[in-house]
Amino acid sequence: MPDLREARLALIPVLAENSSYGYIGRTALMKYMYFLQTLRGLPLGYRFTLYSYGPFDSDVLADLGSAETLNAIDSEAVMYPGGYGYQIKPGNKAKWLKDRAAAFLDKHKSDVKWVADKFGSLTSPQLELVSTIIYVDREAAQMKEKLKLADLSNRVHEVKPHFTGAQIFSFAEGLAKDKLLQSVR
Amino acid sequence: MANPHRYYEIRCPIHGFISLNDWEWEVISQPAFQRLRRIRQLAWTDYVYPGAMHTRFEHSLGVMHTATLLYDAIRTSSENVLTSELAYNDAGLKRDRQLVRFAALLHDVGHAPFSHASEDLMPDQGNGKRYAHEDYSVAVIRNELRKAIEEHPLNGNYGFHAEDIAALIEGSARAKQSVFWRDLISGQMDADRMDYLLRDSYHAGVQYGRFDLHRLISTIRAIPGAEGHPPRLGIIEGGVHAAEALVLARYFMFTQVYFHKTRVAYDVHLRGAMKELLPNGHFPRPIDGELAQFLLWDDWKVLGLLSDGKGGEHGSRIATRNHYRRIFHTPEVSVEKDLDQLQTVREKLGKLLVAEEPASKSWYKTGMPDIPVVNDIDEKTVRPLSEHSNVVANLKANNQVFLYTKPEDVPKAKKIVGEVMEHARSA
Repeated sequence: MPDLREARLALIPVLAENSSYGYIGRTALMKYMYFLQTLRGLPLGYRFTLYSYGPFDSDVLADLGSAETLNAIDSEAVMYPGGYGYQIKPGNKAKWLKDRAAAFLDKHKSDVKWVADKFGSLTSPQLELVSTIIYVDREAAQMKEKLKLADLSNRVHEVKPHFTGAQIFSFAEGLAKDKLLQSVR
Repeated sequence: MANPHRYYEIRCPIHGFISLNDWEWEVISQPAFQRLRRIRQLAWTDYVYPGAMHTRFEHSLGVMHTATLLYDAIRTSSENVLTSELAYNDAGLKRDRQLVRFAALLHDVGHAPFSHASEDLMPDQGNGKRYAHEDYSVAVIRNELRKAIEEHPLNGNYGFHAEDIAALIEGSARAKQSVFWRDLISGQMDADRMDYLLRDSYHAGVQYGRFDLHRLISTIRAIPGAEGHPPRLGIIEGGVHAAEALVLARYFMFTQVYFHKTRVAYDVHLRGAMKELLPNGHFPRPIDGELAQFLLWDDWKVLGLLSDGKGGEHGSRIATRNHYRRIFHTPEVSVEKDLDQLQTVREKLGKLLVAEEPASKSWYKTGMPDIPVVNDIDEKTVRPLSEHSNVVANLKANNQVFLYTKPEDVPKAKKIVGEVMEHARSA
């Protein structure tokens, strides 16, 4: 396996282990990978683009499939009223896979912990919202735009109209306070 | 001026007649779109399946047609979700139908010669990431096609900017609420996949990519967002087996066509030859002053250069059909012991190993399907396809790896691989 790919696969059980629940869902996996790459600069090589459910790259799900094939994770669908989700837990070959990417995982141990500490308590709709705010912010920053927090929130609202303006503003404000936004003046 | 309300029909071997309005006809008539007639859909797959000579041109028309069928079906069945959760009105739905048609039509307009096979030679963006064909598609839309999109008389009814179409394709916040429709362009049940499976299957002369397109279309829905999530695309229970067939079609097409050992060998040779043919070994960037140069690269140009004897060793191997041979492969579902054996073979082969191609690197790789299915009785109960389909539930991702050697080295390499396998058997 090429190194980068091996590192990406090995991150999946590590992210699950770092969760206080002992597992993560698919939304959390997608968004944690996004945060690791975008906020912490991990060279994961994903190509996230925006969907109504936030930044997404199908390669993350392909990696999830590969990790499951290798028995490095166990993934199970869980039903709840009105919907369903997944529980992704380390599998019996998680250690084997982690050992193969040990240098990478060791180097980025603090980044994984940072993501788990910072975003681990958010629900999946909140993760979708926060990651969308960051995506919209980075897009504006790339265009060298300087936005007010309210303008950034309005842009996010146009993509995610099922959140109220106040909800979006509140999360954006929190991210700005933590200095995680680049376009906000 | 010609009648801007005129309609056109083009025959398609998959969908019958595909209708276009005068605006779309104008866009299709631009040289940047006509170039797709000279970009083969499946690169050198015809060396295995001789019929697979079709192009991105007919596929692009097919995606537009399929996306429209899906859009209309969703609007008919789920208008309440679109109006209540995404605030659409009639005018908005009419606008986005046209937007989706253009995005579907143009999503592949930036492909390099021989499609995905040469995408590895797109240059670095300067941040460690390579450009992808989507970056070229949106650049072509914003530049070469801008006038045809923005200045057609029918645009008086829509007020589109080329940017609107580019934003939807690239997944930008500038697409606003229309970003909901991105799943029709690039998603689990997108029009791209539905068209290419059927079309590639047809031209390759195989049956692996077939599924019940019209049943899938009639059962697709916009499912209301649950617990703070936005609405998403799914199906009703009646579509379970059509969706199952789509998932399986993708799996079979991958193993039988897209990841066929010989086809993959020719992808390796194409990359090697293109590296020789391209100035500095990579394509021009999708930016002002370089995009026009990129568009000069099509299959005809590459074939001409190969015919002139250029393209180095790889060009010569393509021309003489003297391709690398697969000498070892792991199972479709490889586990720890298979990867350990792969590592041993890799080490023992040494310089005899000239290419290693993992399934995970392929653009066509299969992922983990997650198609929501709405209960027929209780619309609020939604379960994943894998809960309805035992086959889908047990499908594992293909993580196969192929190792190649030169044809002249096959006897030596075979002996080495044989010894490794014998050792493994006896152990």
